[in-house]
Amino acid sequence: MSSATTGALLPAGDLYPFEPAGVTRDPGRSRSGPAERGADVESAQPGAERDAVLAISGVSLRFGGVTALADIDLTVAPGEIRGVIGPNGAGKSSLLNIVSGLYRPSAGHVRIAGVDFTEVPTQRLAHLGVARTFQNLALFGGLTVLENVVMGLTSTIRSGPLGQVLGLPAARREDAANRAKAEAIVAFLHLSGVAHRPAGELSYGLQKRVELARALVARPRLLLLDEPMAGMTATEKQELAAFVREARDTYGTTIVLIEHDIGVVMGLCDRVAVLDYGRKIADGTPHDIAADPLVIDAYLGVAHDADETLEIEEAV
Amino acid sequence: MSISVTPSIERSLPRAAIGGLTVAAILFIAFVVLPSVGSDYLFEAILTPFLALALAGVGLNLLTGYAGQVSLGSAAFMAVGAFAAYNFNLRVPELPFLVSIVLAGLTAAGIGLIFGLPSLRLRGFYLAVSTLAAQFFVQWALTKFGWFSNDNPSGIINAPPLKIASVTFDTAVGRYLFSLGIVTVLTFLAWRLTRAQTGRNFIAVRDNQTAARVIGVPVLRTKLLAFAVSSFIIGVAGVLWAFAYLRTVEPAGFNLDRSFQILFIIIIGGLASIRGAFLGAGFIVVFPLLLSRLGGELLGGIVDSGVVEMSQRIVIGALIILFLIAEPKGLAELGRRAARRLGGRPT
Amino acid sequence: MEDVQFFIEVLVGGLLSGVMYSLVAIGFVLIYKTSGVLNFAQGALLLFAALTFVSLHERGVPFWASIGLTLVLLAILGTLIERVVLRPLVNQPPITLFLATLGLSYVIEGGAQLLWGTQVHGLDLGIDDVPFEVGGVLISSFDLFAAATAALMVALITLFFRYTRIGLAFRAVADDPFAALAVGLRLTRIWAIVWTASGVVALVAGLLWGARLGVQFSLSLVVLKALPVLVLGGFDSIAGAIIGGLLVGATEKLAEVYIGPFLGGGIESWFAYVVALAFLLVRPSGLFGQKLVERV
Ligand SMILES: Nc1ncnc2c1ncn2[C@@H]1O[C@H](COP(=O)(O)OP(=O)(O)O)[C@@H](O)[C@H]1O
Ligand SMILES: [Mg+2]
Repeated sequence: MSSATTGALLPAGDLYPFEPAGVTRDPGRSRSGPAERGADVESAQPGAERDAVLAISGVSLRFGGVTALADIDLTVAPGEIRGVIGPNGAGKSSLLNIVSGLYRPSAGHVRIAGVDFTEVPTQRLAHLGVARTFQNLALFGGLTVLENVVMGLTSTIRSGPLGQVLGLPAARREDAANRAKAEAIVAFLHLSGVAHRPAGELSYGLQKRVELARALVARPRLLLLDEPMAGMTATEKQELAAFVREARDTYGTTIVLIEHDIGVVMGLCDRVAVLDYGRKIADGTPHDIAADPLVIDAYLGVAHDADETLEIEEAV
Repeated sequence: MSISVTPSIERSLPRAAIGGLTVAAILFIAFVVLPSVGSDYLFEAILTPFLALALAGVGLNLLTGYAGQVSLGSAAFMAVGAFAAYNFNLRVPELPFLVSIVLAGLTAAGIGLIFGLPSLRLRGFYLAVSTLAAQFFVQWALTKFGWFSNDNPSGIINAPPLKIASVTFDTAVGRYLFSLGIVTVLTFLAWRLTRAQTGRNFIAVRDNQTAARVIGVPVLRTKLLAFAVSSFIIGVAGVLWAFAYLRTVEPAGFNLDRSFQILFIIIIGGLASIRGAFLGAGFIVVFPLLLSRLGGELLGGIVDSGVVEMSQRIVIGALIILFLIAEPKGLAELGRRAARRLGGRPT
Repeated sequence: MEDVQFFIEVLVGGLLSGVMYSLVAIGFVLIYKTSGVLNFAQGALLLFAALTFVSLHERGVPFWASIGLTLVLLAILGTLIERVVLRPLVNQPPITLFLATLGLSYVIEGGAQLLWGTQVHGLDLGIDDVPFEVGGVLISSFDLFAAATAALMVALITLFFRYTRIGLAFRAVADDPFAALAVGLRLTRIWAIVWTASGVVALVAGLLWGARLGVQFSLSLVVLKALPVLVLGGFDSIAGAIIGGLLVGATEKLAEVYIGPFLGGGIESWFAYVVALAFLLVRPSGLFGQKLVERV
């Protein structure tokens, strides 16, 4: 697949079906256009660090004798699509788990939207405007697709159990509004046909999409995607890629994307970090990365022509 | 209780209507038809215990079926409910009986909350084992401290008659109707809960605790709420069991076997299904009667009660295994499928 | 001085009765280690074993022949359980398997009593339960015998798993069922063997407990004594089962003697659970369980 992929499959415009609401955003930050991203963000490091939606500094993680991550620095600028690639076991998922507070780093700290954490409080993640998907399916199998997506709005819910049971007007209004939001995103991701099926009964690819819908419905400021396209066909991947880009372009959602399909990564990401054995071995624009001999080594064990590397996407 | 399954607005309208009609029909039969045709035996030996057990099943299903926290101590919360109601009624005589029942439920909820605390750290059978602590502790406390049974030397106390305002429900039909009213109200509220965000939180915690946490579900609060609500309902079920069915209050009936029985009700009836609690309770109440009658018919007088009881144990145990293997969603799912086939609807 | 002696006496008595708990708990550990199942039916198995042995023996079958026959029946039962219950539920969540063993315990209890009747059988193993004195401390000779038997069992189990082919396979399965499957170990056969092995443990425990309590239905309730032991020691550690048993036995007896009077006695029904719970809140994975970070 050529690296100039995705894009034109879906019409631009009202891809992202809601009005901005809920989480208040700093408009100056979130509307950074594509021109501000890329190489010149790199060169302006100190400023970028301060403005970054996500800044990981000096993070290490050990499991017994295994060093999953060693002294990782990573910044993600507002509105950026940040790729993280690397062979299996490189520590990519662990990195996201630290950002979402599921793992506690042995050293280092994480800054989300200007707030510094040594251990991110998972329970507050949604309030911080962070949503994520998981590498392994993490849906609520006993709920329907629509209900799963409604669950993505949990952090915005005001009404208490009593109000819900008694059907007080406020609780009903809230529930109806959330359903409407969820239905919109379900429709957008072409899931309407299965909206009332239990999520656990769907195919793998569909479940992945439901998970994305659940993460997107609250319109997070920062979206962490752990291999969202695994197991999808090329067409499905391109659809999803277009959607991810559209989410960013329209609402300035900042995205961290772990993905094995190099073609997708190269076409979609503004900057890419490469992990290998828990170390960050390269970080830069897709172009820089593709030419980096260290990266090629890590992927193939032997040096290869860069173009060839890109074609062997599935070998990763 | 038949309940519509899909929350969708347009598509499920006919189904919701059918569900609503079914519930209305069942309530009509239960409130109007049965009381005028049923015998005392039917009310005393079958329907009243059925209602109490079904309500306990509804309570446990909220905790175990929906929220995924297995409890082996349900009978303890029934006991707390029964003894609390007895003591409220005894010590604060001016309290209306219905208020005593609500307070008994709240007491059970409080105790449930305490014994639910370990769920914040423990999962799976570690938690299941820890709920046994509730079972044994409560039974011990109720037996040991005479205050609970008003220092009655035998420990077995007669329950006062059921009363709302000046109406006394002291016939077999009366006690049945009293139970039916309470069970209907609580079941309706429980059903509302399962359909609301809180119910979805329960399921989310059950299905994927990590994802639930990331989304912002208050996992700890949700678990404790599940324990409290479930214990409230089970506590009220205990009141019905003691006051409406046995008409005595004693700790012995609320033993571990009772806890298992309620667990079996929801496994056989169907986990995470309100309807399942009723189907399971119906089965558990009716099945032993059928079996002993069958034993009597087939083998005449030669079988002793021990044999019948052992056969019951075997069959119940085997059914548990069978349902877990072949139909984890229990009778409720079997019923749904049968109804669908009858209605000729495609999957 | 007398107080100290009394304390020691209570402590030793507690430790020795704790060994009896350990013995039951070991049966659980064997199964948990290989199939990840908390086998609630262990108590029922114990009842079945003891009841079968006693009934055979009472009908005039010689002691060792009764033991042998009982073992054969246990092996058949183990294989049957694997075939009928475990195999169809493979890949189900552990809690489902746990509930299945709860059902299984009903089947076995019912079956055992249907087969052999519900009356209480005395069981005399030929060991007098007379206390004797060591340094001024009274010790029950029966408890001592039970402790020695338990120690012997543990030694045998250890040897078995260290030096026999099946034992090695067992350990491989315990470490990593998938890897074991990949190298061609037949899981199902190993499970059947493990269930049989835990049946043997159940027989020994059943005989000792039966000699003490009489062989009857309530024998299956010793499972309830073993559960807190397992919670303390971790479900997958034989060493944990032993130390957990000793701990539970000792604290229970001490509490009964020193705290019980203030609470009106009878606290042994729940005290072990509360101790185990309190302990779990501090160390959720038990004494010997490993602390795992859940993979996400
Ligand atoms: N919860 C855990 N417990 C123990 N080791 C873990 C855990 N999570 C990850 N690891 C180890 O950390 C390393 C990195 O894993 P991971 O982050 O999943 O890699 P990737 O997502 O890049 O494939 C691997 O060696 C893995 O085995
Ligand atoms: Mg990964």
